[in-house]
This record gives sequence, C-alpha cells and structure tokens, in this order.
Amino acid sequence: MKSTTLRRLRRSAAALVCAAALVSLSACGDDDNGGGDSSQGSVTLSGQNFTEMQILAELYTQVLENEGYDVTQKLVDTRDIYMAQLADNKVQVVPEYLSGIGDYLNDQANGAGSTPVTSNNVEDSLDKVSVLAEGAGVTLLEPAEATDQNAYAVTKEFADKNSVTTLSDLAATKQPIKLAAARDCKDRQDCAKGLKEVYGIDITEVLPLGFGTREGKDAAANGEVQLVQVATTDGSLEDDGLVLLEDDKGLQPAQNLIPAVNTTWLADNKGAADALNELSAQLTTDKLADLNTAVDVDREKPADVAKKFLEDEGLLG
Amino acid sequence: MSLVADASNVAVLAADPPCYARTVNSWVCPEYVTRYAPELWEATVQHVLLTVTSVVLGLVLAVALSLAARHRPKARSLLLGSTTLVYTIPSLAMFSILAQATGLTPTTVVIGLALYSLSILVRNVLAGLDSVPDEVVEAATGLGYGRLRLLTRIEAPLALPIVMAGLRVATVSTVALVTLGTIVAYGGLGNMLANGIDDSFKAQVLTTSVLCVVLAVLLDLVIVAFARLVTPWTRGAAA
Repeated sequence: MKSTTLRRLRRSAAALVCAAALVSLSACGDDDNGGGDSSQGSVTLSGQNFTEMQILAELYTQVLENEGYDVTQKLVDTRDIYMAQLADNKVQVVPEYLSGIGDYLNDQANGAGSTPVTSNNVEDSLDKVSVLAEGAGVTLLEPAEATDQNAYAVTKEFADKNSVTTLSDLAATKQPIKLAAARDCKDRQDCAKGLKEVYGIDITEVLPLGFGTREGKDAAANGEVQLVQVATTDGSLEDDGLVLLEDDKGLQPAQNLIPAVNTTWLADNKGAADALNELSAQLTTDKLADLNTAVDVDREKPADVAKKFLEDEGLLG
Repeated sequence: MSLVADASNVAVLAADPPCYARTVNSWVCPEYVTRYAPELWEATVQHVLLTVTSVVLGLVLAVALSLAARHRPKARSLLLGSTTLVYTIPSLAMFSILAQATGLTPTTVVIGLALYSLSILVRNVLAGLDSVPDEVVEAATGLGYGRLRLLTRIEAPLALPIVMAGLRVATVSTVALVTLGTIVAYGGLGNMLANGIDDSFKAQVLTTSVLCVVLAVLLDLVIVAFARLVTPWTRGAAA
C-alpha cells in the first residue's frame, strides 16, 4: 500500500520535472515578442551588444514595429556569431558599420589580412562592400550620415595652448606624443602606424588602455599621454574636457551606420527597407552622440532614448 | 525636526542626478533597482529557466550514460575522460560552435551548459552507484529483485545522497556559467552584467552579481530541501 503511494509520488515528481523542463524551454523561446499586430510577419534583429548598437537595435526595432512587424532582438558578443545567421535568413536585420562589415566580408571572401576595400570615401566604400555583401546573401541599405570612426582627442588645455584643431596641426608641433589606445593600435594603419606614416606625428609610446576607455581619458587628463583614441560618436568628450582633432588627411575608413539585411527577405519586404532608409536619412553623428550620452552618462534605457528620438524626428507617423 | 531634515534631503536628491548616473555611479543604488526592476525580473526569470533546464538535461544524460557505462571499465574511463575534456572547451568556442547548429536560441545555451554539467554529474552518479554496498545488492538479488527493481528500489535511494551532492555543485556552477550565454544573446542576468562591465555601470554590475549569488544560494537550498524530503533516513546525519 505504502509502496504504491510512494511509486505514484515518484512518477508524478518525474512527470513534473519533465513538464517543467519542456515549459521552460518553450518559455525561453518566445520571450520579448514586442506584441502589437504582426500582420507583416516576424523579424529577428541581431547586432553587437554595446551601447551604440543597443540604441541602433532599438531604433530599428521600433521603426519595424511601427511598420507592423513582430521584432525579436538578439544582441550578441561578436560580429562572426550573427553574420552566419544573417546569411542563412535566421536573422533578417542587423545595424552595421560600413567598413566594419566591409572588412569582415573582405576577410571572409579573400582571406584574413587581405588589402582593405574600404576607404575614407563613403560612396566608393559602399560600392565595393555592397558587391561583397551580395556574395554573402546580404544587402546593404542606405548609409546614415552618422559615422563612428576612430578619432583622436587631446585635452582642451593642450589644444588651446598649442592651437591645434587637426591631426596635421599636431604633427606640425613636432612634439613627442604618447598615445592611449586599443591594444592592437601599434601596427594598425588607422592607429599609431598611420598616424606616424601619413601625418608624421612623432608617437613615442602607445599605452594599451583600450578604445575610448575611462582609463585612457584619465591618462590624458593627468598628462600621462597627450593623445587618446576615442570614437567620433562619444557623447561625453565635452564633459571629459577633451576635443577631437580633425582627421584632415582621411586616415579613417568610413564607418557610417548602415542597415544590413538578408537579401531573400528584402525581396518581399521593401516597405521595411524604406522605413529603415528614412531613419538613416535622419541620423547624424551629433544626434547619435547625444543618444549615446543619454544612455552612457544619464543611464537612460536604450528603448526610451530611441523612442524619444523617433518621436522627435517624426519617424513613427 | 528629523522630519524637516528628511524632507529637505528628498528635495536635494530629486534635483541631483540619480545614483545610477555615470556622474555619481554608486555601487549600491536602490533607485537603479527600482527603475530597472522589470528588466532585472525578466533577466532573473530567464536565468532560472536556463539553469534548471540545463541541469535537468545534464542529470538525465549523466544518469543514462553512467548506467550504460558503470559495469564496463573501458566505457567508464572513456566517459569520465570525455566529460572532463568537454569541460575544458572554452565557453566562447562552445557557444560559437553550437550556434552554427542551433542558432541564437536558448537551446544553444542549454546544450552547452548541460554538457559542462556532465563532468560533475557523471562523476557523482557513478560514485553514488559505487557506494551501494555489494552485500546489499547480493541480499536484494537473493530476495528475487530483478535488475530494474534493484536499480529503482535499492541502488537509486542509496546513491541519492551522493548524486544530490553533485547536483548541488552542478547547479551552483551552472548559475555562474549561464551568464556566458550572453555570447549568443541568452545569458539571463549575464546580458546585463556584461553590459554593466563594458560601461562601468557599477549599480548594474553589483545588482546583477548579487542576484546571481542569491539565485545560486536559493537553488542550492531547494535541492537540499528536496534531498532531505526524498532521503528521510539521512536526517540527523551530517549534511
């Protein structure tokens, strides 16, 4: 008698565990469905998981939801994780950087370390990258004016004292310069190597403090370095007492924000492409820097920041 | 008097930037917890579901594999060796490779974490089964127990304490490992933790870390309670 009860108890416990496992699997599967009507079908949007891409992902998501799509966001660590998914149409839309995706596709197609097809010229880079993208089953839509390039900043005092506004001005001072930058900066054409060869800046040391990091900015503020590598869309440079030096010789490749979409999906979803292109047309570097500041400094939520921007620009009409 | 002071404090606070803003950037920030409560809740739920599913899958696999291999010395060392080898695969590589097959889905994370949990669970399931005294097995066989009844009525209950000990370690370790799922967009609290670290968002880093620890402790307590419930004869013995 007692053993029958026990057996039943064990069986129901086993069933419960199985059911819980099944429920949790499916429950994980269908979270963050944005609701709303899904008359246009569902879209999976991926991208890299850092502030600027979170904002872009929210902008794209809300624009597409406004068009009647049911959008699922899956932001991941690195580009190579979502690119295969984008080619397979498991991911349909990704916010990208023109030369970022261009260099990636070029490396994939022609081997790592092959001659870059991207340059400072947006149109020229776009033409060449579009060809590579088509080969991978991906179509690039219209680039925004907003561009997130590597840039180099000095403190306001340094700029005033030496009256420098461009990188050429800095080279003309003939001063020995210490640079705080990303770890791989030393041998990169868009970093220390190019600054030496193209501008003739006398870079004596590269401190590997990372790209646009607090440590790098602090090093500049303390006078440990004169030059610090940051992003053109960094919204907190003014607060940090830094000014950007103009890249007057066009050392940096074009890194305009651009929607990359799966080519097969695009064929049936021209309306979505039009909506994303309208968004690109409104997005400037200054506006993007403001959005970054709202998230990075004021710690607003990317979704709220994106919504306000789209409403202000009249893009949710 | 104190009321007046409190009121003026509130007024000052309201004008100041919140404690989670970068200009303040406090580690401990109740305002952050309040404002991000929906996101924290969603991430915690995802974290629990990923952990439980992974460990349950790992346990089922570990029991099946251990039962198949336990009386075969070669299969046994192969099983122990291979599960240890799997544990040495860096999570970045593991999730990237799995994502090729299962995409950016919770399944990718669950499979990866279940495989990692095997290295702990297989060992404990085997050790649990080994701990059953030979005399007991002989006595049961002598009483006419068949293999299935021997396993379910004699061996399983006696192996349970050691299996449960392994389950506790595997669960706590999986709670920590779930955070790495952020690589494929399903990392539970790890998604927010990784962002917090990138942006030196101290309140977010501390809050999500504390939630991970609390989660690990709670799940551990649940298993301990469950183990006591199903092995009443061990009560009173040292845990």
